Amino acid sequence: MVTWSLRAKLLAWYSLVLVAVLATFAALAVWTVWQSGLRDFDSRLTATASVLARAINLDSSGRYEVNLTGPDLAEFTVSDEGPYYAVWTSAGLLIDRSDSYIDPASPRVPQVRSRGGNREVVVAGNQGALVLVGDSLGQFRSDLWRVILGFAAAAGIALALALGGGWFLVGRALAPVERIGETAEAMSESNLGLRIDVTRTEDELGRVATSLNRAFDRLQEAFERQTRFTADASHELRTPLASLMAELEWALARPRASGEYQSSLAVCLRAAQRMRGVVEGLLTLARADAGAIETQRAPVNLASVVEDAASGVESIAAERGIAIRIESVPAIVEGDSNRLRELISNLLINAVQHSVAGETVTCSVSTLGPTTRVVVSDTGPGVGSDDLPYIFERFYRANKVRSRASGGAGLGLAISKWIAESHGGHIRCDSREGQGARFTVELPALVGNADQLPGNDATPRSPEPVDVRVPNAGTS
Amino acid sequence: MRILLVEDEADLAATLRKTLVESGFSVDLTVDGEEALWQAEGAAYDVIVLDLMIPIVDGWEVLKRIRARGDRSPVLVLTARDATIDKVRALDAGADDYLTKPFTLDELLARIRALIRRAAVSPAPVIRLADVEIETSARRVTRAGAAVDLAPKEYALLEFLALHRGTLVTRTVLYEHIYDDRDDSMSNLVDVYVSALRRKLGRGLIRTCRGSGYIIDAS
Repeated sequence: MVTWSLRAKLLAWYSLVLVAVLATFAALAVWTVWQSGLRDFDSRLTATASVLARAINLDSSGRYEVNLTGPDLAEFTVSDEGPYYAVWTSAGLLIDRSDSYIDPASPRVPQVRSRGGNREVVVAGNQGALVLVGDSLGQFRSDLWRVILGFAAAAGIALALALGGGWFLVGRALAPVERIGETAEAMSESNLGLRIDVTRTEDELGRVATSLNRAFDRLQEAFERQTRFTADASHELRTPLASLMAELEWALARPRASGEYQSSLAVCLRAAQRMRGVVEGLLTLARADAGAIETQRAPVNLASVVEDAASGVESIAAERGIAIRIESVPAIVEGDSNRLRELISNLLINAVQHSVAGETVTCSVSTLGPTTRVVVSDTGPGVGSDDLPYIFERFYRANKVRSRASGGAGLGLAISKWIAESHGGHIRCDSREGQGARFTVELPALVGNADQLPGNDATPRSPEPVDVRVPNAGTS
Repeated sequence: MRILLVEDEADLAATLRKTLVESGFSVDLTVDGEEALWQAEGAAYDVIVLDLMIPIVDGWEVLKRIRARGDRSPVLVLTARDATIDKVRALDAGADDYLTKPFTLDELLARIRALIRRAAVSPAPVIRLADVEIETSARRVTRAGAAVDLAPKEYALLEFLALHRGTLVTRTVLYEHIYDDRDDSMSNLVDVYVSALRRKLGRGLIRTCRGSGYIIDAS
């Protein structure tokens, strides 16, 4: 199968339509010329026949006499060529004719007819005589052929001009397509910054180019995010690995005291734990991306999940001299209690890591109509407005001031976001630099079970502080 | 030889510090870029070991700023960033060497020694001064073929003077390069080390320029 270029296809259709239009027009024109020419021809023959009819006389002896001396009848006498005539009596007897007329049969009256290449008119004359006048259509026909040929020539020239112009115009119109194609072709992994040169933005192709450029922008952004993610993941794994290897190399360089071995092993353990944290986080997110994690769906009391999470974080908080305060009401949501505990733990750990000794991290659970809300807030340095849109991104580290000692791998918030969203909810952070951070998780309340809870109606309920954890004597 | 170590990973920093100290270097540790800039301005370092992903001011910026103010200290970038573009950026910003994590301590030490040699009068790894031979890679000193046992600070002092042979090295410079911020030794300790070196390597090796410092003549 032959594949045609778009240009050729457009032109083929274009010329097909043009030929059809020209042919229809020419046919109509020729038909009209033929019809009107034939009418003229007939009326001329009829006029001649009428003159001839008047020139027939019945003489005294009862014989017909045809007087061909009239001004319009001279041509009958000149030659065999050209018009001819025949005259019959009312009884059908041929009484006179041109030499070139050969059919003696009497015609019926009156009529106009085509016979052979000739046109004949029969009219009634004096004394019941019948007069026939005929002439060859040859001249008329050849005139018509000239008209047809003229039309054909004109149409051919018009078609050629239209095709040439069309080829040029289509080429011009398709040039941007060519350019778009070339740009797209030249784009590659290392050259993602390339864009289609959009000079004419108002036409259709300009708009296509603009939307393609926007698509390229998004593609580049996604690609760069992926590259950054890979670099970040590699960084987060290499850093503890470097620590592990360096410490082991140091310990093995020469015999060490047992206390030194002990502290070396502690360093190695910390490095390994950090690597485990990164690997587990990455694995969770990778499986979440692939949709490979099935979250359980069961009624979960968020208040007890918060209790659980808080008791898990308590030791880290106590070590830093930070109190965790919980204000909660029983609130049932549908979900996976382990995941939800991970979500709240992450937020609590994050808050604790950004607080200093003596501060309090608050975690509250409340219900408002169909929504269950968990708020974790701290009074730490907060998040700058530049960082705020990105803090749920993987490996994003808000405020560079934070030393690595206080930070995790940078996946906790990304995982929290995924957990909140996989439970049909969402997470957001409200913060201003220097004024603490407030993370809000909103999950759909489980309506079916809401009735079982005492006093859980549509009116918002303010939680009562139920638990205030006082830190142990700070070891920091 | 004094090294500024800029590393925000506490465990790794501690490991590096004890490794470097065991290798005879004086080490100052900083954990962020701002502190590193401040520290580098206050003392002359023979090598700066710089992580790129450090808080407040990142490593590339630290490099740019210390080069902008005319500091020519050799900088070895030690980082987990292994992309070519990161290396190019760091080297273009003024780094002298680039080592990616994870690394082996042996390689790190060899690269640090190479940087120190390159900054010195002659980059040869073995320095010969009359009958004394200093093998900088193994930190071994021999006199007339016989090994000489030197204390770490004695070696550091000898190596520094030998690398800068032919030029007068003041006491202040010596203090800057063989002690770190944690040392609070008395100033006359330099004299003690010099006399120990003279005892072990012969009196003629190190000359005293009265009141100002010491010199090892270029042979």
